[in-house]
This record gives sequence, structure tokens and C-alpha cells, in this order.
Amino acid sequence: MSARETILNAVRSGLGNTAVDPAAVRRDADALLQDLPSIRPALLADGLVDAFIARVTSPKVAATAERIASASELPAAVGRYLEAFGLPAVVALQPAAPLQDLDWSGFELHDKVAPDEMIAIGVARWGIAETGSLVFHSGADTPILANFLPLHHLVMVRADTILPFLDDYAAATAGQRPPRNVNIVTGASGTTDIEGSLVLGAHGPRFLHVVIVGTPDSSE
Amino acid sequence: MQEATLSFKARAQEALADPTLKIAIDRTTGTAERKRAVAMTQFPQFEAARERGKRIKDHVIANLDHYLLEFERNAIASGAKVHWARTAEEASQIVVRLCKEAGAKRVTRVKSMLGEEIGLPHALDEAGIERVETDLAEHIVQLGGDRPSHIVWPSMHRTREQVSEMFKRLHRAPHQEETIEAMVDSARRELRDKFLTADVAISGANFLVADTGATCTVTNEGNAELTTTPPRVHIVTAGIEKLVPSTEHALLLLRLLVRSATGADVTQYTTFHCGPKQTGDRDGPEEFHIVLVDNGRTRMLREGMKDMLRCIRCGACMNHCVVFRQLGGHVYGGTYPGPMGAVLTPVFDGLESSRDLPHACTMNGKCQEVCPVAIPLPTLLRGWRDRSWREGLEPATVRFGLGIHTFVASRPRLYRLGTAIAIRVMRLFSRGGLVKGMPGLGAWTAYREFPAPAKRTFMEMYKDQEKGQ
Ligand code: SF4
Repeated sequence: MSARETILNAVRSGLGNTAVDPAAVRRDADALLQDLPSIRPALLADGLVDAFIARVTSPKVAATAERIASASELPAAVGRYLEAFGLPAVVALQPAAPLQDLDWSGFELHDKVAPDEMIAIGVARWGIAETGSLVFHSGADTPILANFLPLHHLVMVRADTILPFLDDYAAATAGQRPPRNVNIVTGASGTTDIEGSLVLGAHGPRFLHVVIVGTPDSSE
Repeated sequence: MQEATLSFKARAQEALADPTLKIAIDRTTGTAERKRAVAMTQFPQFEAARERGKRIKDHVIANLDHYLLEFERNAIASGAKVHWARTAEEASQIVVRLCKEAGAKRVTRVKSMLGEEIGLPHALDEAGIERVETDLAEHIVQLGGDRPSHIVWPSMHRTREQVSEMFKRLHRAPHQEETIEAMVDSARRELRDKFLTADVAISGANFLVADTGATCTVTNEGNAELTTTPPRVHIVTAGIEKLVPSTEHALLLLRLLVRSATGADVTQYTTFHCGPKQTGDRDGPEEFHIVLVDNGRTRMLREGMKDMLRCIRCGACMNHCVVFRQLGGHVYGGTYPGPMGAVLTPVFDGLESSRDLPHACTMNGKCQEVCPVAIPLPTLLRGWRDRSWREGLEPATVRFGLGIHTFVASRPRLYRLGTAIAIRVMRLFSRGGLVKGMPGLGAWTAYREFPAPAKRTFMEMYKDQEKGQ
């Protein structure tokens, strides 16, 4: 008997060899997703964008955030950030249209992220207010390493893509073909492996700056 | 692996005599306990969420064959190759074979307790494949040539001073400054090029998502994604109990897992890995393998230990365990330490060699109280004790002592008299509220102070009150 059969048989006999009705299993699984408000934490503010920013900038997440009215203001916002850190205007830009289409004059751009990349700019598909998280899907315009190699990660997210809760992301994508990677990113890379004390910049970015564009009902 | 050959008692004595171990344990578990407590006050829905989490895991276990097949179907549809392993050896052999087929000289690993459970580090070393541990704690364990002592903080038995010394000796460009920040930076420099030049990446999974065929890893360092993206091959090893029906169910459990483990609301990086690189993708592995491992889990199902299959490996039970906090994780001698380890190790290693573990417990119930999926750990430990007794594994002295205990305990008046005597005796030895040494408590009080008993027993006070009414 193959390992597969042995294991499946052992599972079945362990469960008392009762027949499984897939429809009933589905019903039970769905029932476990009912009444979600009773098992979710509270948001930090009333409006979704305010709640998201409050979480992103809370000591637990320890990232920074700012709002701009339109994506066209992103290069200027990036410029201010670099100036504050005294960094050169040499950045890795995610090869995604919402970023590539902007006017980056004055910046030296590349799209291949180096192992010791100083600054990378990306765009998240969703924000999550509950946790201050950013969600990325791997794809032709989203290399995964770009989220992990740079020391400073600057991420644009549209206000109208901010979802209230983690499970709202799952519900929003249910039934779609998943990408190779879904990254839910919350704050910069950190470790507590030496005596439990938190240090940022373990292997991934040490700084995460989130730029929220527009308002929940008008993305630009 | 020398510890494994010593008896539990001998290992415990060594641990108690170690001057730095207790400091190291306290620094990490103390922080974990405090942060979890704060997280709980900020999440008043925790109890309801915990009940739901328990029901999700129970539902999966009750339909495990169904979910295994659904997962397998969807994983294959995503381009993954699915392998099944009955035992630890079989699982390690599959991974080593896949590495060899990939012509791997160097593999990078993301921390996975299942990997430790199946002896993967050892199997890779034996096969002559260079193994690079990328989780900072596992990197420290690898440099130190020892074993993980905690499931969330594998190197918690090391003080910062010890880590600093090791990094200075073994890193190519070690830190100059004596700060934890500088040490973390030293590891960042040391591991950077290894991430990018490995041939195979090996990770575990916190969840296996049945309706997508994806596997989920959670880390704070970002090492999982840096590990699993560049190499040509990614291999996942996971226990069959890791299944969840959907991503939504996984995210509900994630809320419980992270708060219980570190007191954070969510890990910095939560990633779902679904199949190999897709058409057009900028990066990612060309081969994606998933090894589903039984290794005793179906036996647990058969032998009345179904509850333990809910475990999501958060580590809260050990952070809150008085025995673990005195002795650390190595004393348990198995892959998993603390209360959950004391339940699991007899499954993997047999009860005969590990029968001391279920006894190393005060039955204070704290572990069950903090467990995010409400596993009745004390009851399961009691089950092992009973079995050890039934199978005649207890040595004669214990059998005799326990025989007396049973005799006395089943006669309440005699029992109360006995405890009253014991407590009076302890009072005699107490100085300033702490018992510093007492015959019969030697191993404990040689290095520890035992809190002096209350002036009167609860039953004495209770009886007085009854009389007064
Ligand atoms: S037994 Fe419970 S508390 Fe302990 S690691 Fe497992 S889930 Fe966490």
C-alpha cells in the first residue's frame, strides 16, 4: 500500500469509518464563518483610513504613514522622505503601471532590486485597517523580493482599497485563482530572537513608510 | 544530542545548576507573558474567538480525510507536487531525495518545528548538503551546535552575551558594538548572499488551505519569503493536522496564534504560497513540493488524543508553565518542550523513554487556560500517567509511593491530616517566607526557594468559617 493510502485509511479508521457528505462538510465550514463581528477585534478609529493609519503608526506596527490627495503627488512625497533621511534619489520602482506612469524626473530609477537595495517603492493591492497590513499578489508587475530586500520600503495604497478586517481580504478574493504568493505585510521586518527584545531590520526592510492616496470614495 | 541519553532527572539537575539558563529563560518568557496579557485586554472578543478557533480545528479533524483530498487536488491543480510520508524517516528521505534530484549543494531553511520533528537538519547534514538556517534563532542554534529549546524562540536558552561571543567567532564580518541591534545586523550581513545562492528552499507551514491548495508561513523577520523565492525548488513539509477549509478560516486562527505566541496582533509577514512560479511572474521557484507527514498523528486520532491535533504551535503553554520556566526546553529531551511537548514526546519517542515528562507537571491548569484552542493539556498528561502505570512502566519506588498516595487520597480525613503534617513540616524549614532547604525537596531547593506555605491550610480556614456560621 502506498503511503498515501495508508495514511488516508488510518485517518478514516481513526474517525470511525463514517461516510463523508461533502455538502454537509461545506455547510459546517460556512457556519464557522458566521457572526464574525463577535470574534473580531475593534478598529482603532471610526473611518477606515483613520483606523488604518492609527494602526500603521501604533507602537505595535511602528511604521510611518502619510496621506496625499492624488497619485501624482507620490514622487514629491518620496522626495521629502529621502531628504529627511539624507538618502540619494536612486530608487527601485516596482514595474507596476500606477507607479511607472508617474512623473519621476529628478530620480534615478531601476526595476531590478539589488541584495543591498537602499530604497524600493511599491504599490499594495489592499490595506487592512484591523492590523495596518498591506497585501501584495505576486505577478508580472510584482516581484516578491522587492518587498523584502530593500532597507527602506515605501508603499502606496489607495484609500478605496482599504478593507476593515483580515477576513474581508479572504472574502474579497474567494473563488479567484490565487497568485503564487500572497504577502500580507505588517510593519518592517523585526526579530525578538535575542532575549525577547524587538529589533527592526532583521532580514527584510528596517523602515516601512505607507502613503495613502485619495479618499475611500474617490481614488484620485 | 547528548542530553537525550541522560535521564530527565539528570537533565533537570544540570539545568538547575546552570547559572545563566534561568536568566535567559526569564528574559524571554517574562516578556512573552506580559505582552500576551496586554494583547488580551485589547481583544475582549478573545474568548469567543478561541471557542470558534477550537471549533474550526475540531471540524477539520472530524473531516480530515475529506480535507486532505481537497487540499491535494487543489495543490496539484496549482502545479505543486504532493508527497505523503507515514513516518519521520520517510519524510526526511523524501526531502533528501528531492534535494539530490535538484542537484542541491546548498539549501536554505525556514524554521519549522515539523522539520525538527522529522530530524531534517540531521538528515541533510548526513547527506552532505550544506544547510543554512535563516531564522535568526535557528541560526544561533546552528552556530551553537545544539537544539531548539522553545518552539517560537528556539535560542531562548542563550543570553545576549553568549550570542555575541558566537557571532564574533563565526561571522565573516561580525558586529563591533555590544548591542542587540548590532548583532542582528551581523546576522543580516552573514546570511544575505546565502539566501540568494541556495539551490533548494525548505519551509514548514502554519496552515494548509484546502480550497486553494496553498501553504501559509508566518514570520516576523521576512526570512520565509527571502528563503523560498530565489531557489529553483521550494519544498514544504507539514503535518496533516495543519489543514483549514479556506483562507478565511486561516486568518481567524492567525488572530489567535499571534496574540498567544508573541502578544502582537499579527505577524509582520503572513504569506500564502500556492504552487510554483506562474507564467509572467518576475520571481519564484520552478518546482514546488509539499510533503504531508503523518508521523503518529493518525495514531493520536485512534488513541484518544484527538484534542492535541488542534495545537497551532503558539508556545503559550510553555511560556506560562512553572516547570518550563525553571528548567527550560532542553530538559524535555524531545522536539517539543513544555506542556504540549510532554503530551507529544511520548507519541513520537514512546512512553517508556519519556514517561517522566507527564510527571513533570504541577497540574495547575495554567497551560489549558492560556491555550488558544483550549486543549485540555492536564487531562492528556494525566492520561499518559495512567497509561504508564497500567503498562507497568513506573519503577517500584514510585508505584509504592503512589500506592500510598492513592490509599491516603481516597480517604479524605487521612489525606487532610497528611497534607497538614507536610505543610507544618515545611513551615518549620521556612525562613522569612521562603523555604530554603528541606529534606526530600533537595533537588528543588538546592537552587530555588520554595514559597513558604500559608500559615493555615485552606481546609483549616474553611472549617473555621463553617463553624463560625
Ligand atoms: S498546546 Fe495550545 S498553548 Fe500549547 S503550543 Fe499548542 S496551541 Fe499553543
